[in-house]
Order: sequence, then C-alpha cells, then structure tokens
Amino acid sequence: MGRIKKKGTSGSAKNFITRTRAVKKLQISLPDFRRLCIFKGIYPREPRNKKKVSKSATPSTTFYYTKDIQYLFHEPLLNKFREHKSVAKKIGRALGRGEVGDASRLEKTLMPKITLDHIIKERYPTFVDALRDLDDALSMLFLFSNLPSTSAVPSKTIALCQRLCLEFEHYLIVSHSLRKSFLSIKGIYYQATIQGQDILWLVPYKFVQRVTGDIDFRIMGTFVEFYTTLLGFVNFRLYTSVGLVYPPKFSSSSDERGGELGAFTLEGRGVGPSQPAIEDSSAANSEKVQTITSSAAQAEADKIAALTAPEGETDDSAALVAGNEDENNDALDTFEVTAQDADILPQPQAGSAETSTLFASFTFYLSRETPRQPLEFLLKAFGCKRVGWDTVLGDGAFTNDESNPAITHQVVDRPALPLESLPALPDPSTSAQSTDGEVKPVALWPRATVPGRTYVQPQWVWDCINQAKLLRPDLYAPGATLPPHLSPWVKAKKGQYDPSIPLAEQEPEGEAEQFEDEEEIEAEGQDDEEMGSDAEKAVPKRNGKRNGMDALLDRSGEVEAGEGMDIAGTESDFSSEEEEEEVGEDWDGIHSEAASEIDEAEAARLQHQRELEAEAAGISVETLETNTPKSKAAEARKKAAKKRREEEEEKERLKMMLPQRKRKLFERMEYSNQKKDKEAELLRKKKRKVDKAKSVGRSSA
Amino acid sequence: MALPSRKRKAVTRDASSPTNSDSEDELEGGLLHEILSQSEDESILDSDDESGLESEGASEIEGGNGLEEEDEGELESDEVPSEGEDIREQIRNPNTVVQSSRVTHSQWQNGTARVNGSLQDSSNQDILDVETAVDDKALEDEEHKANYAVTTDANGNPRYIYKEIDPVYDSDDSDAPATTNTIGNIPLSFYDSYPHIGYDINGKRIMRPAKGEALDALLDSIDIPKGWTGLTDPATGRPLELTQEELEVLKKITLNETPGDGYDPYPDMVYYFSGKEEIMPLSAAPEPKRRFIPSKHEAKRVMKIVKAIREGRIQPYKTPEEEEGDPDIKTYDIWADEAPRPDHSMHIPAPKLPPPGYDESYHPPPEYLPDKDEIAAWEEADEEDREKAYLPTDHDALRKVPGYDTFVKEKFERCLDLYLAPRVRRNKLNIDPESLLPKLPNPDELKPFPTTCAAIFRGHVGRVRSVSVDPRGLFLASGGDDGFVRIWELVTGRQVWNAMISDDEAVDVVRWRPGKDAAVLAAAAGESIYLVVPFSIISPEMEQTSRDILDVGWGYAASKPSTTNGVSAESPAKWSRPGTRLEDKGVLVKTTVRSTVKVINWHRRGEYFATVSPRGQSSSVAIHTLSKHLTQLPFRRLKGIAQSAQFHPSKPIFFVATRNSIRSYDLAKQELLKVLQPGAKWISSFDVHPGGDNLIVGTYDKRLLWHDLDLSTKPYKTLRYHKEAIRAVRFHQGSLPLFADASDDGSLQIFHGKVVGDMMENATIVPLKVLRGHQVKSRLGVMDVDWHPREPWCVSAGADGTCRLWN
Repeated sequence: MGRIKKKGTSGSAKNFITRTRAVKKLQISLPDFRRLCIFKGIYPREPRNKKKVSKSATPSTTFYYTKDIQYLFHEPLLNKFREHKSVAKKIGRALGRGEVGDASRLEKTLMPKITLDHIIKERYPTFVDALRDLDDALSMLFLFSNLPSTSAVPSKTIALCQRLCLEFEHYLIVSHSLRKSFLSIKGIYYQATIQGQDILWLVPYKFVQRVTGDIDFRIMGTFVEFYTTLLGFVNFRLYTSVGLVYPPKFSSSSDERGGELGAFTLEGRGVGPSQPAIEDSSAANSEKVQTITSSAAQAEADKIAALTAPEGETDDSAALVAGNEDENNDALDTFEVTAQDADILPQPQAGSAETSTLFASFTFYLSRETPRQPLEFLLKAFGCKRVGWDTVLGDGAFTNDESNPAITHQVVDRPALPLESLPALPDPSTSAQSTDGEVKPVALWPRATVPGRTYVQPQWVWDCINQAKLLRPDLYAPGATLPPHLSPWVKAKKGQYDPSIPLAEQEPEGEAEQFEDEEEIEAEGQDDEEMGSDAEKAVPKRNGKRNGMDALLDRSGEVEAGEGMDIAGTESDFSSEEEEEEVGEDWDGIHSEAASEIDEAEAARLQHQRELEAEAAGISVETLETNTPKSKAAEARKKAAKKRREEEEEKERLKMMLPQRKRKLFERMEYSNQKKDKEAELLRKKKRKVDKAKSVGRSSA
Repeated sequence: MALPSRKRKAVTRDASSPTNSDSEDELEGGLLHEILSQSEDESILDSDDESGLESEGASEIEGGNGLEEEDEGELESDEVPSEGEDIREQIRNPNTVVQSSRVTHSQWQNGTARVNGSLQDSSNQDILDVETAVDDKALEDEEHKANYAVTTDANGNPRYIYKEIDPVYDSDDSDAPATTNTIGNIPLSFYDSYPHIGYDINGKRIMRPAKGEALDALLDSIDIPKGWTGLTDPATGRPLELTQEELEVLKKITLNETPGDGYDPYPDMVYYFSGKEEIMPLSAAPEPKRRFIPSKHEAKRVMKIVKAIREGRIQPYKTPEEEEGDPDIKTYDIWADEAPRPDHSMHIPAPKLPPPGYDESYHPPPEYLPDKDEIAAWEEADEEDREKAYLPTDHDALRKVPGYDTFVKEKFERCLDLYLAPRVRRNKLNIDPESLLPKLPNPDELKPFPTTCAAIFRGHVGRVRSVSVDPRGLFLASGGDDGFVRIWELVTGRQVWNAMISDDEAVDVVRWRPGKDAAVLAAAAGESIYLVVPFSIISPEMEQTSRDILDVGWGYAASKPSTTNGVSAESPAKWSRPGTRLEDKGVLVKTTVRSTVKVINWHRRGEYFATVSPRGQSSSVAIHTLSKHLTQLPFRRLKGIAQSAQFHPSKPIFFVATRNSIRSYDLAKQELLKVLQPGAKWISSFDVHPGGDNLIVGTYDKRLLWHDLDLSTKPYKTLRYHKEAIRAVRFHQGSLPLFADASDDGSLQIFHGKVVGDMMENATIVPLKVLRGHQVKSRLGVMDVDWHPREPWCVSAGADGTCRLWN
C-alpha cells in the first residue's frame, strides 16, 4: 500500500486557483491582473464541484485554471507592468519635488511602451481566428468612435477608433463583403462575410451616448486598446489582400469638414496610380448588373450614362467586360434533374456578386434629414458609385446639388407637407446664381419633385439589401406607411411565428375559429360603447384625410408640369396614382359602410328565402343550417379541439410508460418547447387582432 | 395698572411680614443680621446700579428701575425684596437705621444718594407711588406703636422698652408660619381666575406664589454687569469689579494663551549673520596663488574628454528621434507566416451575441409590439428580472428613432462578461422530446381486449376457487367451496353439468385437458384428483376418445406393480374408480395423493399433468402419466414450499415455483436449468408465455413480475398496480398478446404483453384495462382467471360465488 495521498494536491483542487491566489502568485495589483486577463483572453472557469476546489471555508466565487495563470508568468507584459510601476513611482517622486522637467524626461525616456502585437499573434494564430473574434471588437470600436472625448476617453483613442472603423468600412466597400444590415432600436446591425466568417456588429445611432456612473471606462479602455491593435492588423491584412496600400491616405482637411469615408483615398499597391484597377473591377461589376436588371432599368441607366458624359473610364470597363465575361462566370451552374426518380441535391442560392452591385447603376442623393454615414456606407458597399448629399451632411459627396439630373434616387425621410405650411423660399433666381457664378444647390424636396427621380424612405435601402433585390419603391414613398422592417437573421422554424407569411398558413387548426369566438364574446360586451365613440371618431378622421388629399392634389399639379418629358416606366407619378387610390378609398369608405348594412339585410333575406325553399323541397332546416359559415366554423373548431385533446391524452399515456428520470427530462424539454409555442401563439393572436382592427378600420373609413 | 398693584403689594407685604418693618425698632441685635443681609442684597443691587451709572447714566437707571417696578409688580408682591422697597423703608425712618446699624453705613450712603437721585429724577408717577406707600406705612406703624415705649438710656440714646410678651399661642410669630390659608375644604381650582389663592387668618388675601416662569423672568431681567464678581474689594470696601484688561487676561488664561499683553510667541528670526558686507575682512591673509593659475587636474580631465571626442567615443547629444509614424498604424502583416494551431481542449471561446430578432426592429410588425399590460409588467419588473432589456417600440420613420439609452452600458456589460464571467460548456439537448417517448402501439392496434362483463355464472354456494375454459372454447368448468364441479356453457352462462365430488372439501382446482379431440377435466378436491368426462354434453365420438384416454392405463398399474411400487411400501398415489354414483355422472378416475392438491397443470399434449400440494413436503410436486395411471415424484427433496408447477409449452422443461423463487428443470437431462429470483416474498402463481421465453409471476405481496428468461434471473418489469395480493396470473394461450391477473382487491387487470421474436427488442408491456365486478368477500376478491383459447375473452372466478366472462 502506497502512502496516503495528501488532500488538495491533485485533481480539481490543483487545477483551479482562486483569483486572490492568482494575483498573489503573479505579484501584481488587481487592476494589472485585470488588464493582463483582458489582453490575454483569460477568463474564469466554473469548476464542476466548487467544494472540492476551494480550500477555504468561505465560498470563493472566481476560479481560474492554474495552467492559465502559469502561462501568464511568461508574459513579457508582466515585466512591462512592473517597469511601468517603478517609473510611475519615480515620476511621482519628481513631481512631488516639483521637478517637472525631470518628470517629463522620465516619462519620455523610461516609460515602457506596451505593444500587444505578440498577444494578437498568440491569441489568433491564423487570420481566420482573428476574423472569428471580430464581432465584439467592431461593436466596441464603432461605439468608441461615436463617443465624445472625456478624461476617461482621450481624443486620441477616439480618433484612432474612427480611423480604424472607416478603414474597415472602406475595405468592405471595395471587397463587397457586406451582406446584411438591420435597423434596430439599439442601432444599426451590419453583417459582413470575410473569408467565410460571418461578422456581425452593431453601430449606435449618431446621438450622444448616455454614460451612467457605474460604467468603468478603464475596463472598456483596456478592451479598446486590445481591439484597436487587433483591427489594425486585420485592416492591414485585408488591405494588402485586395492589393491596396495600407494605411490609406488620410486627408485631415476633408475629415475636418466631415468627410468621414471620403477623407480616405485608397491606393493600389502597384506602380503608379492603380486606383483604376479597383474602379475597373467595380465598374465591370456595375456593367454586369446592368445586364441582369430589367430592360427598364437598362434604359434608365443608359440615360444616366448619357447625362453624366462618360469619360474614358466607361470605355475601359466596357473593354474589360468583354474579357471578363467568361472568367467571372464562376458561379454555380444549376443542375437539372433529367429523370423523374432521381434524388434532388440541394444547391446554395446565387452568389453575392449580384447583390453586391445592387445599386451600381443608380445615383443617390441623401436629403439632409437622413443619416448620411450608414446610408453612404451601405450604398457604396452595394455597388453605388455616386452618392450625393446635402452640404450640411459633410464633405465628400458626389454632388451637393439636389437638382443634379444624374440623380436617380433620392432618400427622403420627411413627409410631404402641404406647400403652404412650408417656410417661404428665397427667390430661386437670386439665390441660385451667386455673384461668383457658382451654382448653389437648390433645395427641392418637399416643394417639388424632379421628374424621373425615385423618392424613397431610408428603409427601402435596408430592405433591398436584406432581400437582395430591388423592391417596389412606391411602398417606401415619403409619407407612406412603411412595411414592417424585419430582421434578416431570424430563420423561420416550424411552429414559430413568422410575420412574413400569412397567418392562415402557420396557425394550427381551429385557432382562428377559437379566436373569432372569443372576439365575439368580447365584442358583444363592448358593442354599445363603441357605437358612440366610432361615430365621433369618424368625423375628424375624414377631415384629416381631406387635408392630406388637398396637399396631394397640389403636388400632383406640379408633377404634371414635368409630364411632358418621357418618363415612361418610372415611378414618379405614384403620387397621382396614390391620390386616385385615396380618392377611391375615401369614396369606398362611405359606400362600403352603407353596403355592409345592405349586405346584412340581404343576407337575412336570402337566408329566409333559402329556408322557404328548403321547406318546399322537404329538406329539414337543420341540415341547411349546418352549411352556414358560423356553424361550420364551430364544427371545425370542435373537431380541432377534439383532435388536440386526443393527442394530449395519447401523449399522457405514453408518458406513463417512461421511467421517472426520463419523464422529468421529457417534461423539461416540453417546457421550453411550450414556452416557444406560447410566444408564437401570442404573436398570432396579436396579429389577428391587428388584422381585425385594420379590416374594421377599412370598412368604417 | 401699576398703581393698584403697588398698593396691594404694600399691604400684603406688611401683612405677611409685620416684623420686617418693626424689627429695626424692636430687636436691634437680633435683627441686625437680617438687616445686614438685606443691606447686602441692597449693596449688590446698588453696585449693579452703580456700574450702570458709570456707563449709562443715572436717569436711565432710574427709568429702568421704574420700569422694573411697574413690570414686576407681581414679583414684588411675592416678597422678593427689591431695592425700591428697601429704599422706601429707609426713607421712612432714615435716622433709626443710620443709628442702629453702622456697619452698613457706606451702603447707606450709596442708598440715600441714589434715593435722592431717584427722588429727584423719577417721574411724577414714581413719586406718587412712593408717597402713597409711605402713607400706608405710616398708618400701619401707628397700629404697632403700642408695642414698646421709647426712653433714653444712660448714654442718652433712645431706648426701647418693650412690653412683656404675652406667651400665648402664636405670640412668637417670628418663626411661626407666615400665613395659613383658610379657604377650607375647597379645591384650589376655584381660585384659578384670581391672583390670590385664599385668605389668611386675618382675612387677607394670600397671593399666588411665584411660579417657575416668573422666577426665570426675574433672573433674566437682572443682567449681571460685565466685570461683576460678587466680591467686595477689601481695600476700598466697594464691590470688586474687574476692568476690561483684567477680563481679557482672564479670557486668555482660559484659552490657554499667554496672559501678558504684547507677548509674541513666534517672533521673527533674527539673523545673526546678516549678509551685510563688512568693510574689513575677517582674515587679512592674501589670496593664494592657486586661485590664479589654471588647475592641472581639470586640464587633465578636459583633455580626456577631448580625446574621447576626437576618437569618437563621445558623440554629441542627439535628441532621441521620434519614432517614424504612428505606432497605432500597423505596417506589417502579423499573419504572414500563419500556422493553424488547434485550440486547447479546455478553451471555450466566448459565445457570440445572438443576432437581433424581429422585435428589435425600429419598425417591427405590429404584433410584436407589447400591449399595455406587457409594458406595465416590463416597467414594473426589476431590471434583472426582465426577459429582454428593451421594450419593442415602433417608429414610423427612421428620423424619429431616438438614441438607445443603455448602449454604453450594454457594451460595458459585454466587456465584463468577456473577462469576468466563468465560462461553462453546457450540452444543450436539441432533440425532439417526442423521440424520448417509447414507441407504443396505437391503442387501436392494442385491441381487442376484454372490456365488459358479458356473462355471470351463478350457482356456486360459497367461493368459486377455480375456473377453466375448455380447449374448444365452448364450456367453462368451475369448482368451488361447495364441493361441486360445474360445467357451464360459456357464451350463455347456462349450467350444463355438475357433480359433487366431495362432501366436506372444496374443489381447489379444475383444469381441462388440452387437446380438442377429447374433453377431459381434471379437478382436485382435498387429496383426490378426479378426471371427468362430462359425456352428457359432448358428442359420442368425443366421449369415446375421452374414455379411451382415461381407461388405457387401468391395466398398466396392475401388470407392473412391482417395478413401480414394489420397493416402496406406499405408492405416491392411488388410482382408482370413484364409485358408481360419480361414474354415472362421468367422473371416471380418482387419484389420491398424500396431501391436499392445490394446483393442477397439464402438459401441452395432455399426456401428463402435474399437481402441487404445498403441504406435501417431499411429495409436494407430482407428475402423473395419464396413459399409465402412474404417479411420479420428481423431487426427492425440494427447497422451500412448492407453490405451483408448470410444463414449458414447447420444450421438456418443468418450472416449479417455491415461495420466493422459480426453478426450471430439464426433464430429459434431469437437471436444474435456472433459478429465477423474482424478489417476491410469496409467489402465488405464475404462467409461462406460449413462446416459452417469458414468464409472469403473481405474488401475494401485490406485485406482478415479468421475467424474460433470456435477459436475467431478475424481473424485467415489476408492476404494482394492485392494492391487494395477486392470486392468479394467466397468459392468453392463443395468438393474442394479452395477459391478465386476478387480485384480492376484486379486480382483474388486463395487459398487453407483446413479445417480439428477435432478441434485440424487449417485450412491450402496456396496461390496458381494469375489470371490476367481483365483490370482495372476507378479504378475498378474484380467485382465478382463465382465457378463452382463441377469443379475447377471459373468465374469472370470484369469492362472491360467481364466475364472470369478460369480453
């Protein structure tokens, strides 16, 4: 028999170490330990049995792997920290003596410079590893690039974050690797796919961030320090991989004027100005899109091309297209099944090449109320070369002139107000041409629309990108009620509610009928009250609509003025269409209300007639009754309920046969499933309610 | 107001202390002390006044006095001696006082001076006051005058000769209580609205004594002058007063400071060596020469440096040049030589944040918006309890979207999570819960099984102990406590045959012989086993074959008596004819064994049957050969008490159940095959599945056990659905996967027990039905159960004297 083993010398007692002991062992302060852990990516673990691990009676909370801590011993940063501490002491002493010069000299010469390069290499041995971990880094850096500089966040850090983020955006624009984007209440989500890695990050809206007292910027600063190093290397690698010079040229004057993306100039790595190389490829892409898009778009694009007076660039691109025609065709071929009995293999959908040049043929103009930064980035990332905006939005626009005829789309976030409510415009004849002959941009929207131009709300851009096709712009017209903005990342699951498909397809049997019933019961109670309120509501509503219509009428008059030009196939006359529609609707409203009353009377009469006929024919009335929709619904519901009950019983019976342990597991799993089902059911119920309210509103309007 | 109060005061005062005014006249020495004390009082007040005079002026003081008197009329009435009064007294008889008390002379002077002053300066009112008071006094004095006579003594001074004091009660009123209230037995509250509280013996009012507030007010009103000490200066005899300087010294002492004036504890330093250049040097020595010649040592050192510079060892100082470019801009590819490295097995990468859902949209579908209740619940909930950190909100245009309030906080929390949260790998069960459920046959597939009571067979008196359905499924045999064996038509429940085979003993068991060609029923009552051919209900051919089967053995026992029973004196059983009465009925053979037979089980071919008589010890299990009328005892000695025995349906294997185990024996090889341990305390019965590989066991301890012989000696399933002991268990012998058990709780339970041929799958057991109908009599319910050979019908024997058919 061997010696009796001492307790706590092997196993998990040895494998884990508490934080206090780790700090003591490393002989550094707790903040330094924290920094080290953040840099090195060391995190606490949860031991399987805490009791076995902790050596003291008091329950410790944080445990680290002993191996992790040992691995910190060899960290060069540890020495740097110690050096830093000693120099800080010296500086403190010098300052205490009032020797400022000495202190600054010490700081300059002796203060150790901390670089995290080796840690980047260590934590991310390959580039793909780094890309995989870029989510948090990007979110953090984009946040910091939007923060105001304070004592906790030096302006240098913010500038660095801004630079890195813009560089990264430039790469995404050049490489067309942005895939999806989503407007949430928190900010804007973007997803890019680089080397097969999906990177999702969140950019806050451009507002001053609320910073509460419980936020420790030292911790965030440590993260930012690490992330800036990481993104710096990632950017370098990305730029060099597409043949660009890193760092790109940065024009601080443009940046001061709010150039943002425009403050950077990308350069090719070859001899001489290799900018065209990139231009060419993107131009080629744009050409390709032109071939893809419909003939109408083609005609339009041709027109634009004629208007913008193409330089030699387009010729080059045309030549390149001819050469690239077969090369670029590396997309998957579709395999058609020749025989009936063969299996069908699933194939991935069309590549990103098409979506990346979604807006290539358009020229956008951003009104001054739209968020320029995300729109510019998105449009450029999806192939748009020419994005112009109002001067107040900053430098770097393709054009600042709203009346530029090259503009095909204008992103507008203002509703069309009636003209008289707008402030008077200074006389365009004087303001348009200033003394030095420069043409000042004329603000058109919402006073006038340019014929042939599509006016859309910003959401159109996002929805187009997420659905990878150009959507009908009339749904997103200014002032129109927007369709709901859906997250592109939610995968429809069986049993879960999916707002993009109609309710009837996803609801279980009998649910709709049940809902109807409940509603009826509720409605009976409320009917009397609603009668009164409805009548009151109806009057002002109609007035409001009338006003809106007036405005529309006014505007449409202007549109007619420009109607002489041939703009067939464009959406510009949607407003007049809408107006017509609305007139129709308004009329319908009155009509339908009356009609519904008539209908009811008619139905009752018909029913009576049918009964009479049935009597004459000798069929019992009951059989007829069953055919009425109400009784049918009730029947269906009853059937569904019965079926459900039977299923339930069956399941109960099966459960009886399970052993105790398995039954518990089953119940646990069922619980989570049921929770999801409940959520879905709630959503369906709400949807039904909304639909009903809508239909009621329509019929009463 | 002042006037009446003054008057009243004066009166009371006199009344209360009549001696006060008289004292000067009456008792010189005795009252001197009092006067002294009074004068002392006065002196205090005077000194007070004087200090006031010094600072403020006499007229003011007088005014003050007047005021005092007016304001505090009440106080004075309460016999607080005030200066005004004393003065007045002094005014009244200045001479007497001056003469009698010399000690207080100085004060007197003051007093008079002051009085004069007051008399001169005071207002008319005051003068009037004093005059009236004086008048009063004068009157009173006259009253008292009779008390003494004034004569002249030897020195020529006036001498008072007092009358003899009449030593009556209350004559010595100097120490007598001043007043006695004579209000009688009246509550004091009656006087609440009056200034007095009653009357004394003289009918004078007794004024209300001073209350705390009044005293306080007085004390407050007397302001002590600044330098007042309350002492008399021994040098001057005047009250000792402290000057301003002295007060300051005192103050300094109390503050722990140096008392003297002009003392500086921290004087400026005086430099003794003042740096002022003197004209004359301290030393007259001339300057040494070395001060004028260059230092050789220095030249040496300079040369050293020069040399070093020349040789290039010392470089001129260059400011450390700034590192070219920003260190934040990376200029090299860190992954130039990347080599993939597998992650450490214990490394858990940080989980990514989930992508946003529909409800996080700035313009979500309306069904994702929370209704009022949800909003309220969300707002009410604690921040940590909320399922989501945000509330879905709808903005109809992008420009209306506000900034997200907790953006920085969320990111900060993410940072905390990344470096502070312990990471655990959790296996998420992503299986369909349905897959856990056993694949059970559909209830429709489980059909048919008996569900209702189809027929009740009544006729037995007392318990029915055993039932058996004949192999053709036409008849039901039963035996009961009344000693009858009855045969019934199964479908109708009509009794077609009966025979009383025993008078005194119950029929414990009845069993039809398997095989459709013949109809032979074995019944046991007591130690005897009867073999019956109920010829009245069967066809003649069948009767013949049945009789043949039974009769073939008669000669056998007679022809070979020695081989079987020759050695042993007694044979295990005696085969005989039961007698004509029974033979007429069809009971053809009677076999008598040594002890009561409880169980009969036939071999599948009908050639053998086994009987068990639990109390028979070594002869408890017997196997009878029908064709030879031969009885064998296979076990010489049996471990435990035999409960039941059965033949294997297809193999030459014989199962014997003892109280708590079941043994299987190979009959051909004569050896023990297997011992099953059901884990039961007392096995009541068991049955072998027609397939032969499964066994069900019923026990008196309420358990039903399923044994898979291939699996283990332990039960595969233990079913405990009965509340009472299980009496009988039975498999359906036909093709249906059914089995039933009968219990003392009066119920039968029907199970589906499907055995699949291959070894991979275990038997499926599904509880199907509980059949209730039998009544529990003296804690016995259902005694026996049997299945129809083909149909899903089962028959039960109840302790209530009925048999029931279930289908």
